[in-house]
Amino acid sequence: MKNKLITFWAIVLIVIASIVTIFVKPTKLGLDLVGGSRLVLEAQPLNNAQVTPDMMSSLQFAIENRVNKLGVSETVVQRSGEKRLVVEIPNISDLNQAKAYLGETAELDFRKPVMLPNNMEAWVTTGLTGKDLTKANLSTNSQNGQWVVDLEFNAEGTKKFAELTRNMVGQQMAIFFNGELQSAPVIREPITGGRAQISGGENGFVYEEAKTMVDLLNAGALPVPAKIIEENTVGPTLGADSIAKSKIAGALGLGFVMIFMIVYYRVPGIIANIALMIYGLILFALFKAIPVTLTLAGIAGFILSVGMAVDANILIFERTKEELKAGRTLFTAINSGFDRAWTSIFDSNMTTIITCAILYCLGTSIVKGFALTLAIGVMVSMFTAINVTKNFMHLIFGTGNLKNPALFGLRPEEIGEGYNVVETKREKAKFGILD
Amino acid sequence: MKLNIVKHKFIYLAISAILLLPGIIAMIYSMFTYDTHTPVKVGIDYTGGTTLQYGIKEEITNNKLTEVRSNLEEAGIEKPILQIINVNSKDTTDLKAILSIRTKFIDEESADLDKTTNVMNSVFQQPELVQVTSVGPTLGKELFKNSMIALSLALLGIVAYLTFRFQFDYALAAILGLVHDTIFVVGVFSILGLFYGVQIDALFVTALLTVIGFSVHDTIVTFDRVRENLKYYSKKMTFGEIMNASVNQTLTRSINTSVTTLITLAALYFFGGVTTKDFVLAMILGIAIGTYSSIFFCSSLIEIWEDKKI
Repeated sequence: MKNKLITFWAIVLIVIASIVTIFVKPTKLGLDLVGGSRLVLEAQPLNNAQVTPDMMSSLQFAIENRVNKLGVSETVVQRSGEKRLVVEIPNISDLNQAKAYLGETAELDFRKPVMLPNNMEAWVTTGLTGKDLTKANLSTNSQNGQWVVDLEFNAEGTKKFAELTRNMVGQQMAIFFNGELQSAPVIREPITGGRAQISGGENGFVYEEAKTMVDLLNAGALPVPAKIIEENTVGPTLGADSIAKSKIAGALGLGFVMIFMIVYYRVPGIIANIALMIYGLILFALFKAIPVTLTLAGIAGFILSVGMAVDANILIFERTKEELKAGRTLFTAINSGFDRAWTSIFDSNMTTIITCAILYCLGTSIVKGFALTLAIGVMVSMFTAINVTKNFMHLIFGTGNLKNPALFGLRPEEIGEGYNVVETKREKAKFGILD
Repeated sequence: MKLNIVKHKFIYLAISAILLLPGIIAMIYSMFTYDTHTPVKVGIDYTGGTTLQYGIKEEITNNKLTEVRSNLEEAGIEKPILQIINVNSKDTTDLKAILSIRTKFIDEESADLDKTTNVMNSVFQQPELVQVTSVGPTLGKELFKNSMIALSLALLGIVAYLTFRFQFDYALAAILGLVHDTIFVVGVFSILGLFYGVQIDALFVTALLTVIGFSVHDTIVTFDRVRENLKYYSKKMTFGEIMNASVNQTLTRSINTSVTTLITLAALYFFGGVTTKDFVLAMILGIAIGTYSSIFFCSSLIEIWEDKKI
């Protein structure tokens, strides 16, 4: 009896811990439920060059910087495979602009004029680029009030810039951004202070234009061109609708299953339902503690695992009923119900876990969410369906006071002789209610 | 209810054939008629492309649909595929339906998204872009390859596990049961694709894998019982008798488990989100046929097998 009570209080503790976790920890909801975009960017180097891990780290860094500049919280940038990045952005007002902005290469370079043989002028690169900057700032020109971009060079950049300007006094120096001429001021004197300014040419910059340029310059140029190869965007209305519907579906599904269990299995059914509720609590708490991001497919996996959790109990109760019909005593029937059903439960859950593992390794993110919730669900269900149900069955039926076959949904004539036999001390001890 | 597998095994196999045949015909027909030469209509997950879904607050009449289609083609969107998805919840949104428009892959430089939104704005009152799904063409091929690898690995993993726990011939019968279930579900979706334009996506393959896991679940429970009974009764009873007894002993359990799972799935189908409807349907079909195959199909196979041995 002592062991049974210890197990019982351990279960109570786990339940309390789960409830506390559920209240304390926030639920991580996927973008398909709260709304937002999931973009997959692929590095597409020119001339099919090899993508190196270093390249990917600096690409990730640059993209992270850019995403942070979007000014929304809870963005995620993750590596995926050898040459991909997954970017998650919650709902923002102008996604198209954000998408264009993410893939922008942000190449700044300074060029000088040369005379071509045919007397045409052209710009050639000087070797001074955006890499030589420490930072860019947005400010206004004190004379005409137009937006300008202030540049600050790093040590090497300052040296390069000083030398260039010394050699180019009286000439024009052009500033190109992403291959487009921004402005081409005439150098009046050598600039050694390590600062330069880009005015937007004759018409000046529009605020957004200058702001984007500053952000991109500060975020750094992409080390390799990147393209969006996958997009999944869900609007906030659809997400809210999905959450509401999943709640209704989950509640109804669970409700009907519980009714079915009580109608068919009576008292054991009620015990199974309690175990099922405990299962739900533990699982939800685990999702929050790990944390698992809940997506629509993940919720489907969760609801499906409820069906599978019940399966273990059905196996056990069917076996118990069968043993009762075969004339075993109540204790023997309950115990062999658990013992004999175990191999089936274990084998069948193992195959589910095998498929989940494969799905998790090979699947896309939607599939991964489903596989993860289902696998965790199956594992937790092995604990609750066996330990929780068994403990409650022992505590309730172990007293020996509840002996009506109707409690199992059986008619008196279906029960064999053994049912009414009074258990011996040895049997009671084996059942765990005597010390 | 008592089932006699030994006596009716050929009837059960015939029922399986009748259940599978229409789907197989649809799959062969699809392979010859679709551009993609696939047995089912494949979605953008596997072909690459973009699906734009607009929430509409009014009824979508056929006239409006034609208008959208011709306006889109005029705007330069090639071969748009339109599909109406009904929204059946009046409490959470004021959307009546979702119009899904599938086009070729729209990358970040293309103006096709704006063009489509302009067309929608001109035809409907305040349409709302509720979902955008885009898959690049090379990624589509890669996803397809990965799905096929996942399916084969899952089957292999299950064969390996079953061989380890039971014997190879049981494993083989269980796998044939899985193939049986997979063909049925894919067949039904092939038919749905032909008549209602239903496409399969990455979630469909997930559903198939879950069904495989679930169906082998049922089969294992039955075989486990056969194994147990063989241990105690192999001297007193013939294999056929043991098979019959085992199937009948596990019958209620197999049906009850499927019923509880089907209850949760039915709740998801009727009350759950719009986007997972086809996914849930695939699982409902799979679990129903999986229950049939593990009770009737797999045990009949084993029975015929063991019969030949003796």
